[in-house]
Amino acid sequence: MTAAPGMRDLAHRLLTYEAGAGKASEPMESPTLRVYEKLRQSLGEFVGAAGFYSLASRALALAKPEAPSLNAAQVAGDGALQGLSEIETQIDLNRDPADEEGIILIARLLGLLRIFLGEALTLSLLRNAWPGEAFDDGNAGNGRKT
Amino acid sequence: MSTQDKVKINKLPTGVPGLDEIVGGGLPEFSFNIIAGAPGSGKTTLAHQFVFANATPERPALYFTVLGESAIKMLRYQQQYTFFDPAMLPDSIRFINLSQVVLEKDLGAVLEQITKEVEKSNPAVVVVDSFRTMVRKPESDMDLQSFIQRLALFLASWQATTFLIGEYAEEELRDNPIFTVADGLLWLRQTAERNSIVRKLQIIKLRGQDSVPGLHTFRITDAGVQAFSRTFGLTARKRNPPSNRRLSFGIPELDKMMDGGVREGDSLLVAGSSGTGKSVLATQFIAEGVRHGEPGIVAVFEERPEAYAERATSLGLDLETPQKDGKLTILYLRPLDLSVDETMQSILDAVQKIGAKRLVIDSLAGFEMALSPGFRADFRESLYRMIFALTGIGVTILSTVEVDESFTEFPFSTYSISFLTDDIIRLRYVSIDGQLRKIMVVIKMRGGNHAKDIREYEITSKGVVILGKRLTHYQGLISGIPVHSAQSSSKEEPPLDTGIEHKT
Repeated sequence: MTAAPGMRDLAHRLLTYEAGAGKASEPMESPTLRVYEKLRQSLGEFVGAAGFYSLASRALALAKPEAPSLNAAQVAGDGALQGLSEIETQIDLNRDPADEEGIILIARLLGLLRIFLGEALTLSLLRNAWPGEAFDDGNAGNGRKT
Repeated sequence: MSTQDKVKINKLPTGVPGLDEIVGGGLPEFSFNIIAGAPGSGKTTLAHQFVFANATPERPALYFTVLGESAIKMLRYQQQYTFFDPAMLPDSIRFINLSQVVLEKDLGAVLEQITKEVEKSNPAVVVVDSFRTMVRKPESDMDLQSFIQRLALFLASWQATTFLIGEYAEEELRDNPIFTVADGLLWLRQTAERNSIVRKLQIIKLRGQDSVPGLHTFRITDAGVQAFSRTFGLTARKRNPPSNRRLSFGIPELDKMMDGGVREGDSLLVAGSSGTGKSVLATQFIAEGVRHGEPGIVAVFEERPEAYAERATSLGLDLETPQKDGKLTILYLRPLDLSVDETMQSILDAVQKIGAKRLVIDSLAGFEMALSPGFRADFRESLYRMIFALTGIGVTILSTVEVDESFTEFPFSTYSISFLTDDIIRLRYVSIDGQLRKIMVVIKMRGGNHAKDIREYEITSKGVVILGKRLTHYQGLISGIPVHSAQSSSKEEPPLDTGIEHKT
């Protein structure tokens, strides 16, 4: 079973956004890590570090069969993602997103949020983490427009 | 100091239907409250309802979760309630997890973290769920009481209305210094009684305003917690002065027996055994009211509304049209596991919705049987409260009650509820001339005249019809087995009593 298409699209959008933003600020940091860290910060506020660790480790476990290269990655006790930089170089947005480890991992994480919190709350969370982005995509859910 | 010099305490809506009435109009703004109770009693849901009812982007709510239910699961479950509006997150409502601080540091650090978040967000509402789980380290520099006192002081100064949620057992209520600090203490209880769960809440303490004392039933539904005030939300309404207006039954002879009819605002009990026509009488009473433009409610427990209306049709009474016109509501109440207060609230809501002037409860036995076993002990008391509340606003109530037919006694009710009725009509079978006939007598009319006559009646296609003469040829009619009077040789028709019995 692969990550839901809607979540892949959403993950792709977030990575694209961060790839663009990263070029200006921190070009060395991968978009996947930037997205992951923003989610960690935003989610961690209300689920706590332990809560985020649980979600992230589950997402990684789900993503590994789809992207075996993620086998080297792991989630630390504080929720930080380790080992990704060794796998991932700079994301190539021209590649098929289905092959992209970062997209799969983020899509899995977003998918878990959607399962547990529903689309409306998930999108609300994303709006909080990316205030400048509009998440009213029909694929992503039925959240309000910004 | 004049009244205008005194500080005015704003009351915030609780977001819990029925609870505002219980707490005296809403919770005091800037108050420091504790919601206590056993696991699963609805503490978190109640706090959420308050949060969703009061948070705004300008003055948001901060909901601190500690060790206990995981925040993600809490949100997963809470969003199933209809009051939960996801659009309010995170601008108006922010959830902040303090587990890490509690696990790794002490209460001082927890207070520091809360202080930091409050100063950053300027919240109108702060919830700490569950604050009891914070007391983990006995070596903590700050004990819980000190923590609570400092937190209360800080949050009141920052103009936040606060809720601490804690799991407490009944015995912990006494001599607990933490409760001394709180302005408000809401205690939620749930007990299993036979096969049903009985949930009740109590406002043990509420500074600054009057709350309704006692235990109030509450229920948790898709809409969250709903409370049912013991006063049914009618405390604020003034009782109407006693009315001298009489309401007709549409049965002229019965109206005469009652000196013109039932006094408006009275509670009338119609008692009799099965088949004596209690429901027929009740139907005629409600239909006559509708005919005079007085909306009515019929609460039935033993048959469905359609059957009730069909039976009325067979008596030539149209209950269908007034139902369509919003002048009549037939409530079918077979809740089985509902509380008596909740059932009565349904009746009250219906009464208030259509502005009912007449209410029929058919029957009290069915009403009691429809209740969860655990609530039956409260039946008489709750019935009294409802009747008192409704008659106080001018609603005239007719209740039917089935009594066991005895040929040695003449009971008015098997429920010992005569005390809560103003008027009693007793129907019974009587054996006369080899026939089982029916007699009717007005036993009591509080504050009014009524006839002493024992009248024979029949149930015809036009309903209850009182026959033309008083039964004077028999003695011991109310025993059900009268004996033919020795004076029966007189051919003179006795005069009808026109209402000479005056009861006070």
